[in-house]
Amino acid sequence: MAGAPVTGKGPRLDMTAMVDVAFLLLTFFMLTTQFKAPAPVEVVLPSSHTEIKLPGSNIMTVHVGEQGQLFVGAGESEGVAVPLEDLTSVLIQLRTQNPQVRTVIRADRGAKAGVIEDVMDALKEARITRFALVTDLEDAQA
Amino acid sequence: MASNPFAKGGKKRPGIVQDLTPMVDVAFLLLTFFMLTTVFSRPQAMEINLPESDEGVEIAESKLLTLRVAADGAVYWNIARNTPERTTMDSLNPILVRELRARPDLVTLVKVDREANYVSTVDILDELQLAEITRFALAPMTPQDVTELQAVGAPVTPVEAEAAPAAGTPAAPTTPQ
Repeated sequence: MAGAPVTGKGPRLDMTAMVDVAFLLLTFFMLTTQFKAPAPVEVVLPSSHTEIKLPGSNIMTVHVGEQGQLFVGAGESEGVAVPLEDLTSVLIQLRTQNPQVRTVIRADRGAKAGVIEDVMDALKEARITRFALVTDLEDAQA
Repeated sequence: MASNPFAKGGKKRPGIVQDLTPMVDVAFLLLTFFMLTTVFSRPQAMEINLPESDEGVEIAESKLLTLRVAADGAVYWNIARNTPERTTMDSLNPILVRELRARPDLVTLVKVDREANYVSTVDILDELQLAEITRFALAPMTPQDVTELQAVGAPVTPVEAEAAPAAGTPAAPTTPQ
């Protein structure tokens, strides 16, 4: 390797343009990356053909694990374990803190439909009649 | 801006020549890292709208298209009081399209066994959406449903009689604004 400083001998490649592009991309990726905290429960999402994207902010999530464990928290990945009996009161409490919040249910494909039914009942009791089920895109599923 | 980097000529540039190689190396390393860790795809959301009130809507039984999911994920469908017919999630779409084209006044009622997997619920809602059925009811199984399904040999979980509401609670998925 030739040591610096480089003399004018031989072909010299002007790297300025490449470095500019590299830094531009670097800045872009640095600004768009969102580091995700690990979700309270590992969930394999069911797939659907819906094309509505999950809103990025202002949501609260009800996580339902495969065994029917319930976790509730603001945002996409936070959550504390909540028994089913307390779900309604916790939801009402979170709604009072932020009335604009949208509720999403993030449940495992293998969870029992009865648990989801109970969660929907709790949502209804908390007067949350609009909510969303988080799914993967059908094609993404092998 | 003393020297134009694109200036032609074999003359040595005056001033300090900085070796940029390590900086470029680090820049590319970070670039690779962020490119590989970025997740662009946001999960999809399936919107569900429950009715505000608890009042059931009276629907004539003859206009009812009932879809029931048994504990093993099989779908049983019937119109009015016909015997439930077994089908699969994949072959449901042609049935729905055919029946609704023949009778557009049909109201769809979805009942999922408590022991079935949640994926069945999502699949059936997805099928309804694909068949462009935007108004449907999502209701729990009643003991009557259980007897009807057991009569055709479907694996169902028994339900207690007291957990039987009068009518299904209509739910309609909303279209994105």
